[in-house]
Amino acid sequence: MSAKQTIAVIGAAGNMGSSIARNLSKGNNRLLLFGNDKEKIATVLTDIRNSHASAEVEALECAADASWEADIIILAVPYQAEQEIAAKIKEVANQKIVISIANPLNDTYDGLVTAADTSAAEELQKLLPNSKVVKAFNTVFAADFVTPVIDGKQTDAFVAGDDAEAVNTVAGLVKTAGFNPIVAGDLKISRTLENMQLLLIQLTMKYNYNWLAGWKILHN
Amino acid sequence: MYEIFFRKFNDRVGLTREEEELIKQFLTPKKLRKKQYLLQEGDVCKHVAFVEKGALKAYTVDEGGTEHIVQFALEGWTISDLYSFLTGEPATYNIDALEDAELVLISKSAHEELLQQFPKYETYIRLQITGAYIALQKRLTSIISQPLEERYSNFLALYPNIAQRVPQHMIASYMGLTPETLSRVRSRISARK
Repeated sequence: MSAKQTIAVIGAAGNMGSSIARNLSKGNNRLLLFGNDKEKIATVLTDIRNSHASAEVEALECAADASWEADIIILAVPYQAEQEIAAKIKEVANQKIVISIANPLNDTYDGLVTAADTSAAEELQKLLPNSKVVKAFNTVFAADFVTPVIDGKQTDAFVAGDDAEAVNTVAGLVKTAGFNPIVAGDLKISRTLENMQLLLIQLTMKYNYNWLAGWKILHN
Repeated sequence: MYEIFFRKFNDRVGLTREEEELIKQFLTPKKLRKKQYLLQEGDVCKHVAFVEKGALKAYTVDEGGTEHIVQFALEGWTISDLYSFLTGEPATYNIDALEDAELVLISKSAHEELLQQFPKYETYIRLQITGAYIALQKRLTSIISQPLEERYSNFLALYPNIAQRVPQHMIASYMGLTPETLSRVRSRISARK
């Protein structure tokens, strides 16, 4: 009965972007996919339509058009591409929720390229000063979207942002995607969240978790 | 993207270039395609929508499933479920697009901040709401006391060119008539000319 939210997934051809799109298509959402690799986008579209005949999803040719039409924009692009995309969507992303999923990893995966007093999410907020940037989906792997329950436990996924209403909306998306959302705090908590994923990546490589791993807060 | 919005704003309350830029920070540009909902009955109306391009309608649906159109919004018009927007109660209206549309949305929080920060915005909103109230009064008076031919002419004066953009059964719905009655009214008017 509720009006559908329109979500633009920018970078929907990638592992993370396509996984997010696939899982969000199960909810009361209308998805607009944009990605540079048109063939991959076509595959993602077919995939989603095959698994949910009723899914409302389509590919758009332009990131700015997709963002103009969207209520929520998910930037599923590497940190290094954020600046270029932000410039393209800045005007049409005004006042909208923009989800930053990026982890600003260096080439050798043993550190972050951002300074200690900032994060990929905060840098994006500087590029899009009138948007509501929310950090989410950065502490999970693409494979977790297929298997969000690992070893009998539902993977936690952290959400951080400065606008309470926006954070709530995004927590709802995280839940739709199959994870247990935990609101971690304001946007600067992203520094910790991005470092958490750096650690998880390092542990995954060291102990061969096979890229299926996630965080779970144990509590009483 | 905000052309008509600021043209209308400036017609009522003059803004400097700087003020326009500051107000722009609070606005949400949004495209809506034909038949898509901006609001569904039962949801809370989170935005007031200003139409830059296209056409929308607000309506209620009765138990038999019949639509009753409350308002059309063409370029330069504002549309919302004001009751729901202001009180946070569930909306009683549905709002959807009759044509592909480009909108300027103002969210509740943006609206409140604008009211606080810009006295000119408050003046603009007061004039808007006054205008809307007068329009509503006219519509009410027209419905309860005017002959149908006059009501239809008033409607066309209020929404120029709408007959070319909106199907007759929707205009009939707006006027509270059956399509057949509206058709008779139209032929009486053209017979008179």
